[in-house]
Amino acid sequence: MGFAGISPLAHPSAFQRWVLMLCVPCVALVVVGRQIYLSRFHDLSTWKGGGMGMFAANDGPQSRYAHVYLVKPDGTRDPLNQFSESEADFVTRALEYPLRSTFLRAARAIAQENWMPMQQRAPVTVFDSRSEPLRAADESFHLMVPYGRSSDTEKRNWSIEIQFWKLFYDPVKKRAHIRLDQTFVFKPDELFERKPENSVP
Amino acid sequence: MTNPADHSTSLAAPRRNSDFWNGTLLHALAEFVRKLDFLETIRLLTLFLAVVFGVAHWLFEIVARLSFLVFVLRPRLLRRPEFWLALAVAGTFGVILRWEVTDNHKYLLVYWLWVLFVAHLFISTEQQERTIRCNARFFLCLIFLAASTQKLSSPSYRSGEMFEHLLYVDSRFTAFGKLVGISPQVPDAVKKRIALFRSPFAEVEGNELEIPGSDRARAAALLLTWWDVSLQLLIGSLLLFRRAVTDKFAHILLLFFILTTYLPAPVFGFGWILAIMGFTLAKGKFPKIAAAYIICFALILVYQVPWREWVLRT
Repeated sequence: MGFAGISPLAHPSAFQRWVLMLCVPCVALVVVGRQIYLSRFHDLSTWKGGGMGMFAANDGPQSRYAHVYLVKPDGTRDPLNQFSESEADFVTRALEYPLRSTFLRAARAIAQENWMPMQQRAPVTVFDSRSEPLRAADESFHLMVPYGRSSDTEKRNWSIEIQFWKLFYDPVKKRAHIRLDQTFVFKPDELFERKPENSVP
Repeated sequence: MTNPADHSTSLAAPRRNSDFWNGTLLHALAEFVRKLDFLETIRLLTLFLAVVFGVAHWLFEIVARLSFLVFVLRPRLLRRPEFWLALAVAGTFGVILRWEVTDNHKYLLVYWLWVLFVAHLFISTEQQERTIRCNARFFLCLIFLAASTQKLSSPSYRSGEMFEHLLYVDSRFTAFGKLVGISPQVPDAVKKRIALFRSPFAEVEGNELEIPGSDRARAAALLLTWWDVSLQLLIGSLLLFRRAVTDKFAHILLLFFILTTYLPAPVFGFGWILAIMGFTLAKGKFPKIAAAYIICFALILVYQVPWREWVLRT
């Protein structure tokens, strides 16, 4: 039996002609409408989502970034930034569409790594607006590096905190400023799927 | 002995050369384009776009390469709706799976693949051509009017903030900045300063930094801002009228837009699809303009030379 394939229309009705001619533009208009809605109400980047708004606003990848921290049960936290390609991709996707669910996906991928402190704690340095160092801040951090994957049996109790920041530039005053837009904290229950322990009958 | 007539020929040669370049070559190219089969050319240009500047997803890449192989072995299969359906479905998957980071021109490519599928659902070539032309006009209007509306409604675009910021922090614009007189040291200094914001080991008092920008960058940014949006608004609006005179003017602006935009902005797939749509509308009506689109395709490929490195090295 041969493959007949799709039979093209020899005598389409006027309705069929119009439907076929307009179906793709209609889908495109729906996508543009969705992009405008998500951009306005859910902070989707103007550059993305099929709304043709590339280069339309200063909220592209150069103006959005995240600080990711590993938070230990005692409340101390250390920043994480040496991400693998796939982890960085999840973070980028979350930055473009900053919902709790998109950052949770990134946090879950990051939490699979075995993060180790590399050296002594280094203090955070406070800078003035001309980028001159002023003093050491109260907080200090370890430089964390990924060191393989944790085994499934290893108990991990850390949480992950992600701060979503936005950068703005004032061309008249020639000043850039940042604003902490949202902070997400993901507890171990959300990050790790717990396997049910064997119970003794 | 040299014939005096030979001298007259050689003396006249430069003028004839000039005539050749101005008239005969463009005329010959227009004649060549006029003889091209409309549907066959659109199919081939689209297949090239899908293979070379396609959707960055493994499924689409596999389907596009298989489609190319199928085309090489059986060129007539390009006329089958199934051929375009396979590409359109694979492209749709690729875009949907990474929709929040997919560039707008990849969406556009997928729409265009669906348009070719739909067009090939008709047997009549006249109906196929009408479907493709109608959709090309719609998408050119949509792209430029949606883009200009988003730009005009955005305060960070209108103020020139967006382009000035890009001139400082986006490495793709550093070479262009140098060409318009912005020393590469300026963006380097800005990037270094802004990196403080991104470092978890740094805290900036008041969360505010002075930016060592330049007045030339400000002027260039304002020029880019209003050049870009006015050109886009004009192209989109002129194409709405569907009159020969407005179409012709829109084509000239579109050609100018493609030639000037995709040199600094390396989004070659976008340039290519705009040129396909422009060619679709020009072919049959304006042979010389259609020939200019063919030159555009070649130039978009030439634009990929590493000119940024050359400019920055000098």
